[in-house]
Amino acid sequence: MEALELISINAWHTIAAICNLLILTWVFKRFLFKPVQKILAERQAQVDSMYREAEDSRTAAEQDRREYHEKLENAEREVEDIIKSATQRAEKMGDEIVAEANAKADAAIRKADADIAQSKKKAVNEIKNEIAGISVSIAEKVVEREISEKDHEAIIESFIEQL
Amino acid sequence: MDNISITGAKILFEIPVFGGIPITETQVNSWIVMAILTLLCIFLTRNLSVKPTTKRQIVAEWIVEKVTGLVKANMSEKFSHYTPFIAAILGLSAMSSLLSLLGMYPPTADLNTVAGWAILVFVLITYYKIKTSGFLGYLKGYTQPIPVLTPFNILSEFSTPISMAFRHFGNVVSGVVISTMLYAALASFSVVLFGWLPGIFGQLAEWFPILQIGIPAVFSIYFDIFSSCMQAFIFSMLTMLYVSGAAESD
Repeated sequence: MEALELISINAWHTIAAICNLLILTWVFKRFLFKPVQKILAERQAQVDSMYREAEDSRTAAEQDRREYHEKLENAEREVEDIIKSATQRAEKMGDEIVAEANAKADAAIRKADADIAQSKKKAVNEIKNEIAGISVSIAEKVVEREISEKDHEAIIESFIEQL
Repeated sequence: MDNISITGAKILFEIPVFGGIPITETQVNSWIVMAILTLLCIFLTRNLSVKPTTKRQIVAEWIVEKVTGLVKANMSEKFSHYTPFIAAILGLSAMSSLLSLLGMYPPTADLNTVAGWAILVFVLITYYKIKTSGFLGYLKGYTQPIPVLTPFNILSEFSTPISMAFRHFGNVVSGVVISTMLYAALASFSVVLFGWLPGIFGQLAEWFPILQIGIPAVFSIYFDIFSSCMQAFIFSMLTMLYVSGAAESD
């Protein structure tokens, strides 16, 4: 079989070699690099999104934690406030009740005193009236014995003195 | 030993146009290599998934990432579209040279093949030089640093593709030459060693040189496997350095 020289230049063969290389470049680009790079990019995107999601959920969790913490603190503060205000109100109410009771008691005492005073006055008046009546009846009896006016008065006075 | 002949590619047939274009083993074997590489690409990238499940995909990703990393390391980021080109040089050169393992004619042992590649690289170098410094700047570059050096600059510019082509060609051809000589030497040595045997054994030694089994494989490790991969690597390395250098210079 005929063969080329060991070192020979043939323009067609050179051009063919260039074309072969360019065709293979295209083949590699189309059938190897594009699909693999696409997959790599997709994977990168997936990894990125996973990282982002993780970061997001971490942030959200942190925020939740902070919120709950805040809420808890608020609740504690509220409870304290409620207790404090309740205590204050209770104290105030107690004071009011005591004051009212005192006032009522004072009024009752005053009324009782007045009643007593009035009763005493009434009693004194009644006694006085009775005394007067008795005196009259005594006087009638004395009159029956016909005593002098001087005796009369002396008797009444001594009588009253003895009361 | 006079039956040894070291020639270029055998001419298989001629296309009868433009005064006859000979189709040689180089062309056919190049097509075989291209077909193998194309099928390999299609095979490796079949059913790709985001979560790699097959070894095929891991191999495909490994190749892509390695070549991308190589291009990124030796050229700048703006040359990332050169990655398939560099991969094509690597694949075509290595696979072509490795054909000699199968006893086929390696297309890279044909000067035309590597000369074509080197011319392509030369065109790219010139294109980037003109693109970076303009056509006048490119011409002016030949007169740097002093006008007297112009002939030497032109010489050095054109010697770049020539040296690239001949480096690759020479290395592969030397492997071919040495293995041809080795086979011939082993054949005659077989005859010397076993030819005296009486009867059929003596004839057998001549007809079937037993020493050709095994021994050439040891030499093949260097001349075929190591040298093939090395030359492919060197050629693509030089391509990257020259092209990116052309874009950066001046």
